[in-house]
Amino acid sequence: MPSAEQVYASMRAAIENYDSDAAVAAAKEAASAGLDPTKAIEMGFAGPIREVGEAFHRMDIFLPQLVMAADAMKAGVAVLEAAIKAGGGHLEKKGVVIIGTVEGDIHDIGKTVVAAMLQANGYEVHDLGVEVPAPRFIQAAEEVGAHIIGMSALLSTTMLFQRDVLELMRNKGLDKKYFTIVGGAPVTQAWADQIGASAYARGAVEAVRLLEERRKEWAR
Amino acid sequence: MNLKEALKRGETGPLLDANDFLMQRVAMNVVKLQKKYDVKWDGKTLVNLDDDLADRCWAAGKELLLTAGLYGANSRRVIEFSPAEVEHALHFAPHRLAMGQGKDAVKIHHRNVEDPRRPFIFAGPFNANTHQDMFVKLNEAFAQERIIDCLFLPGYLNTLDGLMIRPGSGLSSRAAVLYGQWAREAVRRAGRPGMPICGHAVMALNEMACTNEEWGLRQSDPRAMVLLSELQVDDVTLARLAYYAAYGCPQYVAFTPLVGGYGGGPDGTAIVAVAAFIGSALLGGEILHLGPQHIKYKMQTNQHSLFLGSLAQQAVNRNSHLITTTSHTTAGRPGSTQYAYEFAALELAVVPSGSNVSGPRPAEPLGFNNVSPLMARLFAEVAHAAAEMTRAQAAPIVAALYEKYKDKISLEVAPKGLPFEELYDVDTLTPRPEHQAVYDEVKAELVRLGVPLGS
Repeated sequence: MPSAEQVYASMRAAIENYDSDAAVAAAKEAASAGLDPTKAIEMGFAGPIREVGEAFHRMDIFLPQLVMAADAMKAGVAVLEAAIKAGGGHLEKKGVVIIGTVEGDIHDIGKTVVAAMLQANGYEVHDLGVEVPAPRFIQAAEEVGAHIIGMSALLSTTMLFQRDVLELMRNKGLDKKYFTIVGGAPVTQAWADQIGASAYARGAVEAVRLLEERRKEWAR
Repeated sequence: MNLKEALKRGETGPLLDANDFLMQRVAMNVVKLQKKYDVKWDGKTLVNLDDDLADRCWAAGKELLLTAGLYGANSRRVIEFSPAEVEHALHFAPHRLAMGQGKDAVKIHHRNVEDPRRPFIFAGPFNANTHQDMFVKLNEAFAQERIIDCLFLPGYLNTLDGLMIRPGSGLSSRAAVLYGQWAREAVRRAGRPGMPICGHAVMALNEMACTNEEWGLRQSDPRAMVLLSELQVDDVTLARLAYYAAYGCPQYVAFTPLVGGYGGGPDGTAIVAVAAFIGSALLGGEILHLGPQHIKYKMQTNQHSLFLGSLAQQAVNRNSHLITTTSHTTAGRPGSTQYAYEFAALELAVVPSGSNVSGPRPAEPLGFNNVSPLMARLFAEVAHAAAEMTRAQAAPIVAALYEKYKDKISLEVAPKGLPFEELYDVDTLTPRPEHQAVYDEVKAELVRLGVPLGS
């Protein structure tokens, strides 16, 4: 039976090598060794995934590595979350995020970077993809019990669909329930203020930073 | 290979998830090809001087296109090409193209590396948000600059009569019609009724509503389309390609390889750029526009994009007769000296590398009309001067210019600049003295650095 430190080392290596299969195997090893799953996530996955995020920001690594590391973390955490549920507990999550590119807009990469960076910083991220109709953002947030809704728009002509999501939320009386964050090349703080979004983020690093800084506004 | 066949393959090619295409077909292959062809950035070069590296980058890019193909973003099917089809497309791609009408007709041509012929100048609002009340005046001010060959992307109308324009709506069709009418009116007012207008009216299929031989964009006007990063094409672009090919318009196809994205660093992304050049030609693109994006800086004059632009342009222009251009987006905004130093640096990197030029524009325009016709004049003058220089002569000047702005390339700290109506007297369409002074200062400094601009 490997020691706890050996299991944590395997978990760290899986993230550092961007290896989902290895992350799942190491997580299973942690569960079968009877390690505390919450502690295992912190000791095995959290450190290296944060380092991956920082390396991406320094441009020591690039988007494929960031996505693969985030996927590996997600796969490993799913195994440990199942173990926690089997034991009658539930995994405390930092925050649950719905994210997508708005209707009429097929641009994917900016949103993918933000999703991966949030995952790398411990958020549970549900990526709805591109061309997401306004009602779908709200429906998905209700389904998964999200705290945060992130909306990307890469075109000045599709920004108005960010407005539509927020207007729909107000019409449903849900506008106070979620922290809403908008971003994308043509989006500005002035636009976020105009449409009543909770926040504007210029990029992935800023999104992570402002969610940390404004935790009290969305944590519940 | 022709557009008809490409459209067919877009409906019948292998079905693939977008993430699998990007990770398996693009990212993994770029890593392999970088090693196979030894395409590597040394971490400091801004202007490539290594012909062999350019040729290896060309070979790697061509192989990437053959192994990855182009991805139909809506059909989720891969448009694949054979080596013979690629060679055929490269052989029959135009090396010279006419546009515009009457005495305002002009020709663009392929340029070789260190080609002394002047580059073709696409300049205009370059899709910056343009207010309807200023649309004609702004474009007239660009069109009256005789050094500009083609009025470039006369501006986004993202609002009309106080309403935001929803893509695909009736309002967007009306906006496209007005875009055509107002752009034509602008070149007429400038005394250049046949001046070509490179257009991209609104972001949906109904942008074609700007087309009209009398009052709008004509058969002789190039029409701009943009591929998605990386090596992807959506239905709106394919539909526009099909229509404009049938209508006979010159096809201006842009692509925006992303440094830090699926191509990796500037070296890997240069390989993606070469693949996009060739893939665009296979779709019928005739004027091929490289617009490198950057995952961190979101503008095109950072050190990575300078190198990428020079390497990819040299790769294509040494090994084909394709007609190429490079877009110029900056962190600094019009009204600041930084704006001009940035676009001059990129021009000096890409014009001796064989590129024509498109631009300039701030990467993040603030508000409406955040562009300057006077700066477009300087942009054109620098491009002409750069054609008189070798890469080795230009490289130290690029380095000197980069030193001037490298600490202010974050969009948050870059100079915010001013809109057109504060840079110009909008009654006389002449630059205000303060704006003219910026032009004079930058031009004098460029001359001092060795750019052959004359007095």
